[in-house]
Amino acid sequence: MSSPSLTLPSQERPAARRRLLEILGALAIAATYVYLVLNQPADITGGPGSASALIALTGFLAGAVLLIVAVLPTLPASTLVLIPVALVLNIVLGQFVGSTLVPFYLDAIGTVLIAVLAGPAAGAATGALGSIVWSFFNPTVLPFAAGAALIGCLAGLAARYGLFRRFYLAPVAGFVTGIIAGVVSAPVAAFVYGGTSGVATGAIVSAFRAMGDTLLAAITKQALISDPMDKAIVFTIVAILVYALPRRARQQFPFIRRYRVLAGNGKAADTQAGAAVEDTAQGTAHGSARNG
Amino acid sequence: MTASSAGRTGQPARRERLNPLTSLAAAAATAAITTAAGSWQLSLTVIAACLGLSVAGGTSRRVLPAAAAVLVPFALSLLVLHGLFFPEGRTVLAEWGPARITAEGLHFAGQRILQLAAVVLALLLFSFSVSVPDLVAALSARGVQGRFAFVLASTLTLLPAIAGRARRIRQAQESRGLVISRNLVSRVGAFRLQAVPLVLSLIEDAGTRAAALEARGLGNSGPRTSYREVPDSGQQRTARAVLVLAALAAVVLRVVQPGA
Amino acid sequence: MAAAGLAVPTDGPVLAAGIRQFTFHDAQAPALRNVAVSFAPGSFTAVLGASGSGKSTLGRLLAGWLPPGGQGTLAGFLELSGARLEFDGGSRDPRIDPAQWGRQVGYVPQDPAAVLSTVRATVAEELAFGLENAGTERGDMKAAVEHTAGLLGLRSQLDQDPARLSGGQLRRLAIGCAIIPGPPVLVMDEPFASLDAAGTTELATLVRDLLKRGTAVVILSQAVDPLLMEADAWVVLSGGTVAAGGSPAGVGHHSGLLPRAIRRLGGVEAAAPSVPRPAERQSGPPALQLRGVSFAYPASPASRMKRRKSPQAGELNGPALVLQDVSLAVHPGEIVAVTGPNGAGKSTLLRHFNGLLRPATGSVAVCGADIAKAPVGKTAASVGLLFQQPRDQLFERTVLREVRFGLDRLVGPAMAAHHAAAALRAVGLGDAAEEHPAELPASAQRLLALATVLARRPAILALDEPTVALDGDGLALLDAAVRSAAAGGAAVVLVTHELGYARSAAHRILALDGGRLVPA
Repeated sequence: MSSPSLTLPSQERPAARRRLLEILGALAIAATYVYLVLNQPADITGGPGSASALIALTGFLAGAVLLIVAVLPTLPASTLVLIPVALVLNIVLGQFVGSTLVPFYLDAIGTVLIAVLAGPAAGAATGALGSIVWSFFNPTVLPFAAGAALIGCLAGLAARYGLFRRFYLAPVAGFVTGIIAGVVSAPVAAFVYGGTSGVATGAIVSAFRAMGDTLLAAITKQALISDPMDKAIVFTIVAILVYALPRRARQQFPFIRRYRVLAGNGKAADTQAGAAVEDTAQGTAHGSARNG
Repeated sequence: MTASSAGRTGQPARRERLNPLTSLAAAAATAAITTAAGSWQLSLTVIAACLGLSVAGGTSRRVLPAAAAVLVPFALSLLVLHGLFFPEGRTVLAEWGPARITAEGLHFAGQRILQLAAVVLALLLFSFSVSVPDLVAALSARGVQGRFAFVLASTLTLLPAIAGRARRIRQAQESRGLVISRNLVSRVGAFRLQAVPLVLSLIEDAGTRAAALEARGLGNSGPRTSYREVPDSGQQRTARAVLVLAALAAVVLRVVQPGA
Repeated sequence: MAAAGLAVPTDGPVLAAGIRQFTFHDAQAPALRNVAVSFAPGSFTAVLGASGSGKSTLGRLLAGWLPPGGQGTLAGFLELSGARLEFDGGSRDPRIDPAQWGRQVGYVPQDPAAVLSTVRATVAEELAFGLENAGTERGDMKAAVEHTAGLLGLRSQLDQDPARLSGGQLRRLAIGCAIIPGPPVLVMDEPFASLDAAGTTELATLVRDLLKRGTAVVILSQAVDPLLMEADAWVVLSGGTVAAGGSPAGVGHHSGLLPRAIRRLGGVEAAAPSVPRPAERQSGPPALQLRGVSFAYPASPASRMKRRKSPQAGELNGPALVLQDVSLAVHPGEIVAVTGPNGAGKSTLLRHFNGLLRPATGSVAVCGADIAKAPVGKTAASVGLLFQQPRDQLFERTVLREVRFGLDRLVGPAMAAHHAAAALRAVGLGDAAEEHPAELPASAQRLLALATVLARRPAILALDEPTVALDGDGLALLDAAVRSAAAGGAAVVLVTHELGYARSAAHRILALDGGRLVPA
């Protein structure tokens, strides 16, 4: 039989080169942020096309691309196939919720879902890829790729360290993620765009500017008002969705099995957690069987 | 470039002769150079050129609404923000309480809007004129790019399909007597009821598709070939290299130049 | 018809498996145990089993779609082209390379749409996807695509968007994707489900062609389609293990070895109508009345953003009428079947009953009242509509909650419990009340969806292809439930492409042909 081998080599570790790219990507993002924050006061009114805008763009974009290059080839097909689904969910679910609970963007539900099911690396790649794919229709989201990657990564870490095992911890993790992501994304809005993309958020920034804040400070404060709440809601929605999935669907993800991401290994504990989650979420819709 | 294209209709044929990577390089270089230059004259020129190209290419009906959807809220936000509140401004044109219209603020907002419009139009012109299958085929040659191309193309294919599935789920549930009333609790409940089957079926489908694609060699790390032929030429390769170098040069010059 | 048997097995099976046990992670019981199968080159095997018997799990294991160690652990061996892999469920088990395995075993899952890559714009490119990944030269790819398309009868569709294919074409495309690398084995899961007569004939021809070329064909099915009578061997699965095996004649219906749950299609069950007609049919107003209903889908919106359409795939001039001047009156207690080939507009017709679709002209009256202004959720109180895709309709986390959903509001809590329990008993799910709907086998999911409709005791019961995905037991339960609903005074309209079932179940059969409803 001259057929090629039907089996794969026993176990492969991620190559050191990939690791290096991941670290470089993270460093690029961090260094860009630090540079921008340290140098901002002299530059803000320096006019468009300022060096800061270019540094923000290149630094964040390069960081996001490095992360994608490092992570994407290592993802198994099962995760790769889920990423487009997550990107569409970002849009479809975001729109549904957006039409009902107006004041938030809620455009990261799919990203956080992938992060919880498949881990921080997959989450980061989904976030960054989401921004890049979405920039096909709206180029202004491109520079926020780094922030989106950060959200995916933090959500994955939260899942890995058990913050989705307790229902009340999920929104807390979301809140913290929102703070970090908001602070990191603010320089993009400030230096690349000189403001925010929406009228409502623009009004909040205006209020801080009226009090005499610098543009970066005003946008950072605006982000601290919107983002943590937004991400807390997103994390809560994802927790509801994940717990509503049947066990069989959840167990197909090695990440969930290995790090015991969700409450309950035994069946009883599992359904109880699910019940607690859903009853909390549904409020008065089903008054019965409340075991909080 | 002006070789006669026998038997084909004029406009599409000419566009098809362009490799998608070439038009991508052109759009990206335009965006980078415009940002780096930061001159409103250049921004206006680019805007005019993009508008002209999109009208000539017959994509203006899709490019313009998409651009407007992005730019109008942005422009309003910037005008309110910098037009009314610009503490750094000196030349005050009008004043109501804390709000001061300053010449500097308006100038700043105007410049940013023009620059943004130029970048957005250049990139949208690319995305609305490129043939996605060609772009995917051009990207698929190598590893990371192939996977990126997969994500891009799959997202664009799934978007209408999943929106359709969400609609079917809503119909099925309405047929079971689900009435969504206006109050918030009812809507949140309805969201859960509709999102759960949607997410579940998508995850199940993705599992099947992953197995199918793995069996068809998606995970293969070796060389790949492409069934679709994408036009390319030595000239275009040179043009891409020149465009990328020009964009890099513009960025480097701007950053190295002693800042404002 | 033993043509397939002529391909004499040469030296041993091309594919074989000896499964002592296969258990999904976190499951209490093994999904498969003590299953030994082997397939000789050019042989034709049918694996028969009811819904939930482990057929699909076996098929996916054989095809490398369920690599041991991934979602579950295997104790036993898999053997392909003479290479034998032993598994004991430990960490030192070999890991299957799905791509290499897939070049030798083609697999077509139940839902052919799930096979599509979603990243290829034409049928030809979709077929070539696997070859591209293997680095095949373009010339060879073109030849292989041409050859495979010829075999499948898809030559004229090569430039079409795969998303626009009909159900039968999609099934053949999925088969093409599996066989284009020329695998010596092809495994198909429920290939006949939801295919109409024409589609079934095409598929049978294709299978015979493949057998002639020396491909071993394995069909997993819960029904005995006529084609399966030509098989060299039947393997009957029940409860995850082999219950019987042998030639079709030996295991066939007269032997008593075939569980009742395995249906027989195209057989003699299309006998005279056995349903007594309701005596008082003409008295009183009809429960459902359609008068002169015409309907056309709006012309499909311009092609998606960046998909440029090839000029030859132009659209029809003006929207075609799906329904033309359709009039129908169904009285309480009456069972009406509507038949017609795939794509005739049967589902479109049903969606008019509760207002999901509104007629362009004409009117729909439910229990004497025009529903033109009523929201769907309101009309749903009188019209129970069962869709083809059960998982679109199910959303709760237990079977009982699913059936009780919305009942409290409709009939009050006390009655709700009673109705829910009765409906679950009627479909044989009385013992499954606490299970997760999504974890039930396909047949049980359809029955659960039926129960959610029955529990509401609607005046009109409208069922869209109710037999699809049901095994024999499920079909018997469906039949009983429909009859008892009719006996209780419900007007039943069922839409099916299975003429045999329509004949046995309905008082009256209508055919939807070219948008018009005519007596069959």
